[in-house]
Amino acid sequence: MLRDIIFVTLLIIIALALSYLTYLGGLGDLPPQDIRLIARSYLNLTYNQGVNWLWAASPEAVTAIVWDYRGLDTLFETVVFYGAILAALTVFRGVSKLPDRIVSVGLSVVVKRTMAIVTLAILTVAASTALHGHLTPGGGFQGGAIASVAPLLLIVVFGKQLFVEKKVSYNKLLTLRNASLGLLSLSTVALLIYGLATNEIGYIFQNQAKALSTLSYPSHMLDVPLGGTLFFLNVFEFLAVTSGFTLVFTLLLSSEEVILKEFEGEEYGY
Amino acid sequence: MMDYVDLVFLMMGITAVISVSFTFLAVKTKDLMHAVIFSSVQSIAYALVYFLLMAPDIVLVYVAVSVGIYPLILILVVKRVGRFEVTA
Repeated sequence: MLRDIIFVTLLIIIALALSYLTYLGGLGDLPPQDIRLIARSYLNLTYNQGVNWLWAASPEAVTAIVWDYRGLDTLFETVVFYGAILAALTVFRGVSKLPDRIVSVGLSVVVKRTMAIVTLAILTVAASTALHGHLTPGGGFQGGAIASVAPLLLIVVFGKQLFVEKKVSYNKLLTLRNASLGLLSLSTVALLIYGLATNEIGYIFQNQAKALSTLSYPSHMLDVPLGGTLFFLNVFEFLAVTSGFTLVFTLLLSSEEVILKEFEGEEYGY
Repeated sequence: MMDYVDLVFLMMGITAVISVSFTFLAVKTKDLMHAVIFSSVQSIAYALVYFLLMAPDIVLVYVAVSVGIYPLILILVVKRVGRFEVTA
C-alpha cells in the first residue's frame, strides 16, 4: 500500500514537473510566436484569392494541407488504413458467408429508444464534421470514425440480427466501401484524365487551376467555399471509413463458434 | 495575476495529473471492466489536453476512437475472456 502511494506521488510529481517545464518555455513559447516559413506560406496561401494559382480555396488550413498541399502523404496513410481493413476481411473471409448463430433480443425498451435518438445525433454530428471538413476542423476520417460508433452501438443494443432484418448485408457494405474507395481515387486523377482527353495540361491531385493548367474543380458552391477536391475527398473518405469500420465490427461481433472455425487446425499448421 | 495562457497551462497540468492517476489505476486493478473505464477516463483527459494544445482535428478523431470504439471493443473482449484477472 505504501509502495503504491509513493509510486503514484512520484508519477504525479513527474507530470507536474513536466507541465511546469512546458510552462516555463521548455518547448518554446506556446502558442509559438515565430511561425516557420512553410507554415507561413500555407497560412498565406490557403484562402488567398489574390494568388489563385496557388490557393486551395479552403478556409481550413489543416484540411488544405492534408488533402491538397501534402495529398500524397495522406494517400499513403489511407493506403495503410485500408490495408489493415483488407487484412481483417481476408482473414475472416469464411465468417462473412455464414449466417450468425446468435439470436439476441437486445437490451431493454428504454435503452433501445434512447439508442434510436442517440444514433440520429451521432450520425448528424458525423455528417456535419465530414461535410464541413473544408470549413471547420474535422474531415472525412474524423467524421467516419464518429459515424462508425453508431453501428457498433446498434449491434450491441439491438442485437446482431438487426442488420440482417434491415437488409444491410455484408456484400452491400463491401460494395459501398469499394465504390467510395474507387471514387476517392478517381477524384484525385479526374483532372489529369480530363486533361489527357482534351489535350490540356492536368496534374495528379490537382485542385485549383495552376499557372500552366486552366483545369479546376469548382472553388465555390452557392457562394460557400467548396475547397474544390477537398469536399469530394472528405465525403468519399467519410463513406469508406464508415463502411470499412462497420464491416470489421460485424465480423468481430460474430458468435465465437463461427469465428473459431477460421482458426481450426492451427496445431497442424495452416 | 493569472492571464489566459497561465490558466490554459494550469488546466493542462491538472489534466495531465488526472490522466497519470487513472493510467496507474487501469494498470493496477484486477477487475478488467474497471480497467476499461479507467482507461477511457484517461483518454478523456488526453482529449482535453489535445484541445488545450489547439489541435481540434485530433480531438475529433480521438474522442470518437478512444471514448466510443476502443472501450466498446475492449468490453466485448472482456466478455469473452472473463472479467477478473486471475493471479497465478
